[in-house]
Amino acid sequence: MRLIFTAAALAAVPLASLAQDDPIKQAIEARHGFYQMLAINMGTLSGMAKGDLAYDETAASRAAANIEALVQYDLPSLFIEGSSSSEAQDSAAKPDIWSNPEDFRTKFAGLGEAATGASDAVRGGAGDVGAVVQKLGGACKACHDNYREKS
Amino acid sequence: MKGPVREVRLWDPLLRAFHWLLAFFVIAAWGLGQFGPARMTLHFWCGYVVAGLLVFRLVWGFVGPAPARFSHFVRGPEAVAGYMRGLMLREPSYWPGHNPMGALSVIAMLAVLAAQVSSGLISDPDDYINVGPLASYVSGATRSKAVGWHNLGANLILVLVLLHVAVILFYRYWKREDLVRPMITGRKQVRED
Repeated sequence: MRLIFTAAALAAVPLASLAQDDPIKQAIEARHGFYQMLAINMGTLSGMAKGDLAYDETAASRAAANIEALVQYDLPSLFIEGSSSSEAQDSAAKPDIWSNPEDFRTKFAGLGEAATGASDAVRGGAGDVGAVVQKLGGACKACHDNYREKS
Repeated sequence: MKGPVREVRLWDPLLRAFHWLLAFFVIAAWGLGQFGPARMTLHFWCGYVVAGLLVFRLVWGFVGPAPARFSHFVRGPEAVAGYMRGLMLREPSYWPGHNPMGALSVIAMLAVLAAQVSSGLISDPDDYINVGPLASYVSGATRSKAVGWHNLGANLILVLVLLHVAVILFYRYWKREDLVRPMITGRKQVRED
């Protein structure tokens, strides 16, 4: 009896690791990680822009540089087949992304454009951070409006 | 059986001002929401004005002149059915105020607009520039869901407004009753009974 349980438990190990290696799950987790990193740095910038955080030029520039670095990553490549909100749990990616891949890439390129030069642009004062947050936020919105599930 | 028709002062000036200001700011908010700039400051302000107007209407519904009072025009299903039996007649209703069917529309619009203002206040679309002023008081899941409710609400408002305009046109061209002029001048032909 014990042998059967042990065998069953051992047999389940590869299954468990298989689930870990599920490329769809990985892609979704990677996306969420990407957005989380983006959010942490955006949070720093928008906090300073609103005055919730004291302006700190070094911290602002570092957060903006992080965002500049993040947008270099080819995020659209993580939106693989089978990872839309209608197919996968935990996904807020609208199926429209897969029917308009070109436009989706354009939207992400828009974020890249908004981030260009941000680490220098935030130098000076909270007002400068505000202008950068406006640009970045506009790019966030442009994509969320069409491609992010609101739930 | 039917009494004589005569022109009376029906809609008071504040109610008329409320109506046209609400129409203006709801249309402005809707248009800015759909087509406006990414920075939605003007949309937010339109929403605050709508909120203020709704508060006024709620108060006016209890303390205003008779035709403005909820107790005067909100009626039961029987009254609504009774009114709707004569709906297709090609004659003016000469109704002294919101008719029982129109009352449903009034309540629906006020309720949906109140819900729309509320969902807007707590919405966080994760763009760092258009976060509702009360979003920080609700959970992360709620402020994200609120964006979805706000989108749904915008569609409901569009349907209700188009229905409202369609019914006004129906009264104008089918029943030959102008309902727009009374909302401007305050004076309307009504039947006494």
